[in-house]
Amino acid sequence: MKNRTGFRALVGREIQRFLSVFGQTILPPVVSSFLYIFIFGFSIGRSLQEVSGVSYLEFLIPGLIMMYLIEGSYGNASSSLFVSRWANHIQEILVTPLSYLEMVLAFLIGGLVRSVLTALGVYLVSLIFVRFPVYNVWIVLYFMIFVSLGFASVGLLVGLLSEEFEHISMWTTFVVEPLIFFGGVFHSMDMVPHVLKVITAANPIFYMVNGLRYGMIGVTDANIYLCMAVVMVFFSTLFAFSVYLFKIGYKLRV
Amino acid sequence: MTDNNAISIHNLVKYYRNRFLALKNISFEVNEGEFFGFLGPNGAGKTTTINILTGLANFNEGTVRVFGHDVMKDYRETRKLIGLVPQEFNFDPYLSIEQILIYEGGYFGIPRKTCRDRARALLNEFGLYEKRNQDYRRLSGGMKRRLLIARALIHEPKILILDEPTAGVDLELRHRLWQFFRDLNARGRTIFLTTHYIEEAERLCSTIGVIHRGQIVAFNEKNRLIREISGHWVVVELRQPLKALSEELTRFGVTLGREGKVLRFQEQAGVTPGVMKEIHRLGLEIARLDVRKATLEDTFIKLTGFKDSFEGDLDSMRMAADEE
Ligand SMILES: Nc1ncnc2c1ncn2[C@@H]1O[C@H](COP(=O)(O)OP(=O)(O)O)[C@@H](O)[C@H]1O
Ligand SMILES: [Mg+2]
Repeated sequence: MKNRTGFRALVGREIQRFLSVFGQTILPPVVSSFLYIFIFGFSIGRSLQEVSGVSYLEFLIPGLIMMYLIEGSYGNASSSLFVSRWANHIQEILVTPLSYLEMVLAFLIGGLVRSVLTALGVYLVSLIFVRFPVYNVWIVLYFMIFVSLGFASVGLLVGLLSEEFEHISMWTTFVVEPLIFFGGVFHSMDMVPHVLKVITAANPIFYMVNGLRYGMIGVTDANIYLCMAVVMVFFSTLFAFSVYLFKIGYKLRV
Repeated sequence: MTDNNAISIHNLVKYYRNRFLALKNISFEVNEGEFFGFLGPNGAGKTTTINILTGLANFNEGTVRVFGHDVMKDYRETRKLIGLVPQEFNFDPYLSIEQILIYEGGYFGIPRKTCRDRARALLNEFGLYEKRNQDYRRLSGGMKRRLLIARALIHEPKILILDEPTAGVDLELRHRLWQFFRDLNARGRTIFLTTHYIEEAERLCSTIGVIHRGQIVAFNEKNRLIREISGHWVVVELRQPLKALSEELTRFGVTLGREGKVLRFQEQAGVTPGVMKEIHRLGLEIARLDVRKATLEDTFIKLTGFKDSFEGDLDSMRMAADEE
């Protein structure tokens, strides 16, 4: 990192950006998490049997946190990069001595900060309904950090590929959201038919959700080491690819 | 290739993704401390060249250096040395006017305290201090233009690149900006000014490069460039338009412009009487006759080939008469 000051400035700008639209970035997921927890976990969940020895409500909360973590980091990076390409202020950054690695990292850290704040908000909301000790805080941090950075990288790629606002919402609706919903946020492997088990096991989000669930309540449908490995491969591949695209100026330089 | 050139461009070729060839092998150098004018009609390739210098465009062939550093390999070095005033506004919409300057300085690696001080000074200098906490969208066009210039100076670059900085700017501000650019240059900053106004280049620049359809068609010290084209030009305004030049007129190097009503040629021994005789033979009536010293515009016309199809371009390259 050769331009630390520049890097800090860009991280600061990324954080200021989502904070300046707090009502569109942090507040909605926290409010809707309340609804999810209240309806699914608290009300319907009471009639469901225990999952892997914990109540459905406890099972659901780590899944929801992971869902908002993914949406927050992905949403932040995709819209920040897309808007700055669209309105051309990406040029303010491209003409500076920030390295491409520094540019990408700053965008990712913006996504990380936003998603961690959101996750914290969701966690606080969950405390209204249920309290349990965190099983292993290091594992929780590992998954929060690397999943955020990984999905912020996905956001950067989508922000680069999209030519119109509509493209971003198509990626979200047709790719990211289905992956989240089939990723075991709401269900355990025991609860679903065979075909859905196969689909779920092929989905990287399944390993992220279960990794975090293990860290929070000590329960997982997949081997924790496998979960950690999937997250690391996911993050490092997408991160390297983002830096590469910035380096060649894909859709950034004409 | 000497390293004390502020800018050196060699055999630069640029294709856009749609395979359009925007720069057809251009080469030139700009010395440190120079006030360089890059002159050409709209679409000539000026912005493309600037974008390559500043990291906003890729290129296909050639080398581009800034104070000896390669813009691709040593991009972090070259970017520190350049301040860009782009043709179009490209401010960060999430930031206030003062923050735009402070953050930009930050990206350049300048400590926050220094950025703050410089931002204040620049805002004062450009008459924007009162507006510092506003959204830039509430500024007038001229103010936005000044903010662009302030932003380009926040990291005190050795080279200031100005991409058509006075397009759409009112007369008063234009003159103030000209004076400001001259002062910056006098204090040692290299200036690379892009313009499609011939007069602007003539007034400000010490060296001029003329680009036309992606090629450099002239490059020299301004006075030499004008002198090369020689002493005097004769401009004949006709009462009735002439549809096409006669063979004899073409032989004398006469060009036809402004709806066929203006003949223009370079004065030389034997040419003027010859042209006059031919005008008489063709039965043309003269409305006005003007003999004047060559200007950059004459040079420009000579270099780019003044054709009827080109006349629209040329008109757009004159600053409107009422503006002056
Ligand atoms: N992104 C682009 N894709 C394709 N062609 C382009 C692009 N940008 C500019 N051009 C073309 O390249 C030529 C030079 O453009 P430009 O450098 O902007 O000219 P100038 O700044 O001299 O007016 C023009 O013909 C323009 O249409
Ligand atoms: Mg231009």
